[in-house]
Amino acid sequence: MTTTKETWVGRGIPRVEDPRLIQGLGEYVSDIHFPGQWAMALVRSPHAHARILEVRTDAARKLSGVHAVISAVDWEDLRQPLPDMKPLSPPALAYERVLYVGQPVVAILADDRYIAEDAADLVEISYQPLTPVVNVEDARQDSVVLHPEFGTNILDYVNFVSGDGQEALKEADHVISATLQMGRVSAQAMEPRGIAALFDEKTQSLMVYHATQSVHRAKERISTFLQMDPNHVHVIAPEIGGGFGVKNGSYPEEVLVSYLAKYFAHPIKWSGDRFEEFLGTYQEREQTHHVQLGIKNDGRIVAFVDTYYQDNGAYPGGGVLVAHNTARNLMGPYRIPHFAIHCYTVMTNKVPQTPYRGAGRPQGHYIIERIMDRAADELGMDRIAIRMKNLVRPQDFPYATGFPGVVYDSGDYPQTFQDLLDIVDVSAFRVRQQQARAQGIRLGLGLANYVEISAGFGFEGVHFRLAADGRIELATGATGQGQGHRTALAQIAADTFEMPLEQIAVVEGDTRRIDKGIGTFGSRTVIMAGNAIVIGGQEFLEKAREAAAKILDVKTTDVVYHQGTFSAPGTSAKSLDWTLLASELQRASHSMPAHEYYFYSNTATYGFGCHGVIVEVNEKTSEIRIPRYVVVHDGGVVVNPLLANGQVIGGVVQGLGSALYEEMRFNENGQPITTSFLAYHLPGAVSVPDIEIHHRNYRAPGNPGGYKGVGEAGIIPSQAVILSAVEDAFRDQGLRLNYAPITPGRLFQAMHREEAKL
Amino acid sequence: MVSITLRVNGTVHQMDVEPRWLLADVLREHLKLTGTHLGCEQGVCGACTVLLNGQPARSCLTLAVTADGADITTVEGLAQNGQLHPIQDAFWQEHALQCGFCTPGFLMTAVHFLQDNPDPTRAEIKEALSGNLCRCTGYQHIVNAVERAAKNLREKSGEKESIQTSTVEG
Repeated sequence: MTTTKETWVGRGIPRVEDPRLIQGLGEYVSDIHFPGQWAMALVRSPHAHARILEVRTDAARKLSGVHAVISAVDWEDLRQPLPDMKPLSPPALAYERVLYVGQPVVAILADDRYIAEDAADLVEISYQPLTPVVNVEDARQDSVVLHPEFGTNILDYVNFVSGDGQEALKEADHVISATLQMGRVSAQAMEPRGIAALFDEKTQSLMVYHATQSVHRAKERISTFLQMDPNHVHVIAPEIGGGFGVKNGSYPEEVLVSYLAKYFAHPIKWSGDRFEEFLGTYQEREQTHHVQLGIKNDGRIVAFVDTYYQDNGAYPGGGVLVAHNTARNLMGPYRIPHFAIHCYTVMTNKVPQTPYRGAGRPQGHYIIERIMDRAADELGMDRIAIRMKNLVRPQDFPYATGFPGVVYDSGDYPQTFQDLLDIVDVSAFRVRQQQARAQGIRLGLGLANYVEISAGFGFEGVHFRLAADGRIELATGATGQGQGHRTALAQIAADTFEMPLEQIAVVEGDTRRIDKGIGTFGSRTVIMAGNAIVIGGQEFLEKAREAAAKILDVKTTDVVYHQGTFSAPGTSAKSLDWTLLASELQRASHSMPAHEYYFYSNTATYGFGCHGVIVEVNEKTSEIRIPRYVVVHDGGVVVNPLLANGQVIGGVVQGLGSALYEEMRFNENGQPITTSFLAYHLPGAVSVPDIEIHHRNYRAPGNPGGYKGVGEAGIIPSQAVILSAVEDAFRDQGLRLNYAPITPGRLFQAMHREEAKL
Repeated sequence: MVSITLRVNGTVHQMDVEPRWLLADVLREHLKLTGTHLGCEQGVCGACTVLLNGQPARSCLTLAVTADGADITTVEGLAQNGQLHPIQDAFWQEHALQCGFCTPGFLMTAVHFLQDNPDPTRAEIKEALSGNLCRCTGYQHIVNAVERAAKNLREKSGEKESIQTSTVEG
């Protein structure tokens, strides 16, 4: 008998997370309240670069309700470097010098945040301002060196060469050059960062509630800084209000709250506010590229050469990883036989860079897509034709891009691009564009392709156990921040165990529940933890069969498992479901089956796709509207299409922010001047269109589940595609845009600047 | 300290507050109603939106003393007798939330909006939600949810009306 097997994977079911969240019952770090807890507030540097001369805390100390005013001048332990920021780790509290506006100098503990902020106002710090270094051009000169002991502001240089590298430019009929830039952006999750800690003197253990994307790495950092036995440090990530990469790194607040909670043996909480989120949370994107594309008369790419500088800010913080990942993405989905990439990570007096959604993927694609537009324009070729000419073809798979370890493996890039062109209906658009132009309306079309490289390193695990009530509990160290993993991973488990979803419970982000974990970032969790369920689930089932055999008093080999029931055909034994198995095991005082499995894989996944956008530009106000945005997207085997759509749409809209509005701006003194939502504009409901998504589901050949990443597909080509579209709207004037975001102000300048035109 | 009375989700609370305490902090810290979230404390993001005497208000820009005697509804007051409010249910069905941090503010804004405009266009919904920021969803599913909720609420009130009508007729 054959029946169509219904699976949970592939169904767009609403999330198990939501009933609590929509009733206001979700518990975020800021909602945690330990009886008697003290609030921490920080006095942060108002200077981008200065020497600290004196810190006076007497007045602050005397304020009623203040318990401690702490500076590293007299707390030597807090001069220790933050873990995981080698080779230039900042101290937990700055004590001799400050290197960016927002760097913490003094910590205040008080009964509540109101009092703590009052006390912060009473702290007097004398600074001797030093020359700030606020852009890479100045920083590269090394006339002022941020870290004299390091000797240079160049934090990292690396080059990648494939084929004949730069030499191959000689084979080109044309060499197209451009300097392309991206401004600094800030992730701005709706929940600011926060951390609360409670030290138990009896057990000498520290409980840390932490808005972090990786509880295990946080645990490692905290135990290192506090010189504590890691077994006595427990980190729990409760609900997290968005992460986007920047809640993943090493921050001063993490070790400060942990250290002080232990030192005073008193619960302490720091809930960052929005201003602190703009000052102290690490940022991303800011890069300047000097690109050359060597191309044949027919549009075929011969060579790509790029020297770029990433404005990293004052300390490592994860920025080098972003710079390297940019290099990995510079080829996009195109065949580039020769390339030479020179990548510099440069330190300036700004808050550090750290991976933010995309983490080099948007940067790399921005460069390759924009230089292809430029090449097409200069050759008088169609922007579509040049892409078709160079896309990796199905017959090329497995296709090694020339970058170490990157081998594209699945899909059909040209067909998918053609599908996008058909959906957008380019020829009909060109007619509309002409008609609109005649009426004084400027429409433009932007198109871009991308590859989304996900996972491909490390491991992630799942701890399975049969709970007393018969549910199967799965704990993973990969902590979500709103992606819906508790639902998606449960769907995978429900298929693995042929059980209803309700009988699966996924526990995220608790170091007490699973030994090891890496965390959720780079769209890796379904790929890594999902496959851990697929494979480890079978091993857990084996243990459950052993347990059932004991109860049924048969041999393990006699036990058959089918759709939630253990039976022993051919014997007189009854059958057991999980609930009965759990209660019988407890009655017999047997241990419950449990199993921990880690999925290790160095095979990345390669989702891909393309975006098409139509913009409408108001020539008088330089306002850019978006009537239509289409995404054709391959995410491999999609576990939950509703959630996948949410990821893609959310990514696109964040990308529209960094393409159109968002830019962290600093004045000539390194003072950030966009430090509120009034000055740093996030996209709002009115400013974004409905996003049309068309899925292509090419199973990932490199992992058992066939999953690929979906979290970054939306944001990767967003800056490229918008700038491309705006240029297209001004094709008759030969508008050239070299800087993202294209804000109304920048567009106005570009429209009125001679050198911006051909 | 100033003594004030707040009626929150139908329960009357008398309490002493400092004149500078924000309504959001009093709800969250003193009444432990932590569903109301603080996203920016500048009145921009809308996460802290509550209904103050039936009108949406930024609880991060409202001093608790100025709310003395007010009737306040927070997200915790939407579900009745264990039944989700149709707007909550629509947010769930349409996947209108990811991290959930901004969600309470959107729900409170939408509840009030649909009372004023039970049959809105998509553009009107977007306009009504323009005072709330979400960083995860890209808004599309939130707009879908408000559309769905509007439809469900209309059908529900249609049922009520027809019941009332039949009662009158009968």
